[in-house]
Amino acid sequence: MYSERLEKAFESAGIGLGERFRLTSEGKVMEGMLMPRPDSGNPDIIIIKFDNGYNAGIKFTRETKLEKLEAAKAAAKQNSPSVHSRKFNHSLGKVELIYTGGTISSKIDYKTGGVYMLTKPEELLETVPEIAGIANLSLTNLMSIASEDMSYLEWQKIAKAAADSLNNGARGIIITHGTDTMHYTSAALSFMLKDLRGPVVMVGSQRSSDRGSSDAFVNLASAARMAAESDMAEVAVCMHATSSDNHCNIMRGTKVRKMHTSRRDAFRAINSKPIASVSYEGKIIYHADDYRKIPGTDEKTKLMAGFEPKAALIKVHPNSDPGILEYYQGKGYKGAIIEGTGLGHAPVSTPHSDLNWIRYIKSAVDSGMIIGMTSQCINGRVNDKVYRNLRMIKDAGAVFCEDMMPEVAYVKLGWLLGNYKKAEAEKLLPENLTGEISARSEADWFGD
Amino acid sequence: MKDKDYYSKLGFKCGLEIHQRLETRTKLYCNCSTVPAAEEAITVIDRRQRAVAGELGLVDNSTKFESQKARKFIYHVYRKSTCLVDIDEEPPGNPNQDAIETAILISKSLNCFIPDEIEPMRKAVVDGSDPSSFQRTMLCGYDGELKTDGLKVQIPSIFLEEESSSIIHNTPSEVVYGTDRLGIPLIEVDTDPTIPTPQDAKKIAMRIGLLLRLTRSVQRGIGSIRQDVNISIRGGARVEIKGFQDIDSMDEIIENEVERQRKLIDIAAELRKRNAGVGEPVDLTRIFRHTEAKIISDHVWQGGSVIGAKLHGFNGLIGLEISPKTRLGSEISEYAKTAEVKGIIHSDENFDNYKISEKEMRELKEALGIGKDDAFILVAERKERCEKAISFALMRARMAIEGVPPETRAADSRNKTTRFLRPIPGGLRMYPETDSVPVETSKACKKLEGKTIEIEAIRKKLESEIRNRQFAEQMLWSREMPVYEEIINKVGVEPVVVASILLEKFKELGRSGVPVETISTDALEYIFSNYAKKKITRLGIEEILRSAPKERWEVDRIIKEKNLERMHKAEVRRLVLHFKDRPRGEIMREVMSKYRLVVDGDELQEAIKNQGS
Repeated sequence: MYSERLEKAFESAGIGLGERFRLTSEGKVMEGMLMPRPDSGNPDIIIIKFDNGYNAGIKFTRETKLEKLEAAKAAAKQNSPSVHSRKFNHSLGKVELIYTGGTISSKIDYKTGGVYMLTKPEELLETVPEIAGIANLSLTNLMSIASEDMSYLEWQKIAKAAADSLNNGARGIIITHGTDTMHYTSAALSFMLKDLRGPVVMVGSQRSSDRGSSDAFVNLASAARMAAESDMAEVAVCMHATSSDNHCNIMRGTKVRKMHTSRRDAFRAINSKPIASVSYEGKIIYHADDYRKIPGTDEKTKLMAGFEPKAALIKVHPNSDPGILEYYQGKGYKGAIIEGTGLGHAPVSTPHSDLNWIRYIKSAVDSGMIIGMTSQCINGRVNDKVYRNLRMIKDAGAVFCEDMMPEVAYVKLGWLLGNYKKAEAEKLLPENLTGEISARSEADWFGD
Repeated sequence: MKDKDYYSKLGFKCGLEIHQRLETRTKLYCNCSTVPAAEEAITVIDRRQRAVAGELGLVDNSTKFESQKARKFIYHVYRKSTCLVDIDEEPPGNPNQDAIETAILISKSLNCFIPDEIEPMRKAVVDGSDPSSFQRTMLCGYDGELKTDGLKVQIPSIFLEEESSSIIHNTPSEVVYGTDRLGIPLIEVDTDPTIPTPQDAKKIAMRIGLLLRLTRSVQRGIGSIRQDVNISIRGGARVEIKGFQDIDSMDEIIENEVERQRKLIDIAAELRKRNAGVGEPVDLTRIFRHTEAKIISDHVWQGGSVIGAKLHGFNGLIGLEISPKTRLGSEISEYAKTAEVKGIIHSDENFDNYKISEKEMRELKEALGIGKDDAFILVAERKERCEKAISFALMRARMAIEGVPPETRAADSRNKTTRFLRPIPGGLRMYPETDSVPVETSKACKKLEGKTIEIEAIRKKLESEIRNRQFAEQMLWSREMPVYEEIINKVGVEPVVVASILLEKFKELGRSGVPVETISTDALEYIFSNYAKKKITRLGIEEILRSAPKERWEVDRIIKEKNLERMHKAEVRRLVLHFKDRPRGEIMREVMSKYRLVVDGDELQEAIKNQGS
């Protein structure tokens, strides 16, 4: 945004954004195109794009003169065919792409100078023309929102759109999504969509699609391959397997987590192995056969999208104040997942009574809350027996959540409380419903 | 005679882009070391890139061309000189402030305007040389001027940008890059296209190079400075020549490029006279099903295709030589080769070597509808490569009717010619760098107030120090200048001694195989301080240099091992006494033959003179 006085100066000179103008400052004459100014930085500095394509910032002073120039011959407008006019091959698998926003479809935002979501997902598909040879694609422009701004209300909306599409003839679903909370949404969809009729593949990117090096292109093509051809009937996340652009991993929606802030292989299968990989050339390699397959029946996909927002995720750490439980209890929360240390610990034998969690856990449970215990180790399974302190927490009424990640346990708790009575919800929390809990821990799930 | 008049009549336009790596502690946008990797790669990654639109929503021509090639890019990643920022896995940090100050200093020294705010931009680069598919670049100065030797040239822009990766290995389907060099700050100084002759271009390039060196903030050594030249003549188009290995052959390569453009303009005129045109690709595979021409059968037998096209009115012109060892046909072939084919066959070639039968030739001409004035081109390869190659070749043939294609070309210093790299990029490939914020320049400008690089002043200072005009001029242009200055500033030693050692002795020792470039500045400084303290003689300096020491302790060891400790004045006098009554010349010879490395010549002379007294 330019300053008010600068906006006025542009207005009186009749210069609009993107128009050619002449700027005279301190006897120096410059010509170029007026570019928008991000909200950051000095609002009195004019950004001019010279004919060589470079931008420079020139300070506006009382002596600065601005003149509008005749537009140079406009570059030939390119006709970019929309995805609807693109010829899709009807013999290919019918796939619905549900667009929700995120880095995968971002470009420069002049509000801040950073990147922001496109509102036209067609633009994204134009950069991945090979999709037309993979899937018979149609598009639902559901929302354009950053994943950190999403809530359970968006999860419900996405789940409904996916179920509707599957029940109306799509064999698979692609959901483009911001990466920050993609693993929360993938967990939510895993619980909300029952009796899936086909693959639901969530995909994002770590580099925005306005750069030629974006991981979006390979991620999207791989997701399309999976949605159009796979016999998997689960919710999964499709992202780069390594820093190279040569294959993507397909990871179970309840067993995947963003493990790096910026790398393209940030998403890792946790307490599991990826279900499959898709190579750059489009070959799907399954790593196990314990995934749920497309049923041979006509049964519809059911939506079970209730969610209780009064559920919390709490992290225990040295010096943490257990009073936080009392706070939630007071606000009428129906449950909380504790992200404990190690095997599922919280300080319960500490000599510092104000830091002792046991009384608060017991009180929360007695008040009717469900308290689940998980581990901030992320990898591995919690245990309620090995140490005396673990047994004390168990005896206070906490439910140990096996090898569920804290985030998944949190989503599951909210979903259980939104769809079941409390007793049933408490019983189901540590039971496997959709692959979120493994009965066994295999030796190569944790390494490197 | 190709003088100024000759070039001015041709409408010769020539401008330079000088690229110089800066000497900073860290890279431009991250904290990696700028010292090239002397290490093994810790990991190797491979990437694909594609064309995306610039800020104005359009895709640049060169970007499109490169991404059509769909090459795989492989990057070697090092521990100390590469980080996640380099390989496009972490957002950039803040730009290196020293680099920005150097860019502003250079801009000021070339009388440029400095923007109040530097806007970081991305310049699309899809040849893979940057894993992020763009180079971060900032306009730091504009509308400047350089005057030298009666020449005046405008400096429209000075950029600070990221150095690209170095090529380790290159094939049409993949390129292997090293990422240690990637991201080192690089200054680009551009001149406007008004340089009158190829010889002046060389002069100005040298002058800008000198100015950059005199900032004392640039890297030295092979590849740390590169010159690109933009050339056109009337009726032609801008051609950018990259990769001059050495500045010496610059003028000759430019001369040949001018001749190339003249020939292309002549050919275009002839083609237009003939109302020339370019046909559509035709699949000719069936004609060559049983061919004995190995160049074709090799591909047909493996299921490949033969695709040809008519070049209407091109007969006889494809085979014309346009620069030493290059014909129009070779230029068409260069385009086709970017689609991973070995080359094309064209009708101006000698077909005796190919064993194409008369029947095949007849059928081919029939299929393409070749008349008397027409030519044709052929490609045999896998079908999709064939199709791509022929469309690239036809693109080039079509441009032949227009004249000179606007291209980026590589300098070939062996043949003194240029070769096609890619279509010339335009402003469409610019995009704002959204991961970084603009840089206000007021602080840096204040810090540099009153500071510029004044070559004349530096020349005068050297002349007064060294008191030898020739040495002073040589030193000004020498890469050893920063070393000279450091020694002069730290050690109280006669500048002429340092100058003559650095300029003459270094060259002499280098020729005799001594790796003088490995001698550290610190070791040199220590050697000269020993000399200043009269611990060694001048000839002793040379003797030490012969061992190319890198550390101070090595200097001490060499002095000890070679017995280079300078003989005390009293001792010299005692030595001379042994030769009492012998002729002076003889004493001099006798002593020097035995003690030349440890006896100071002046002291010896003095002792001889005084022996009787």
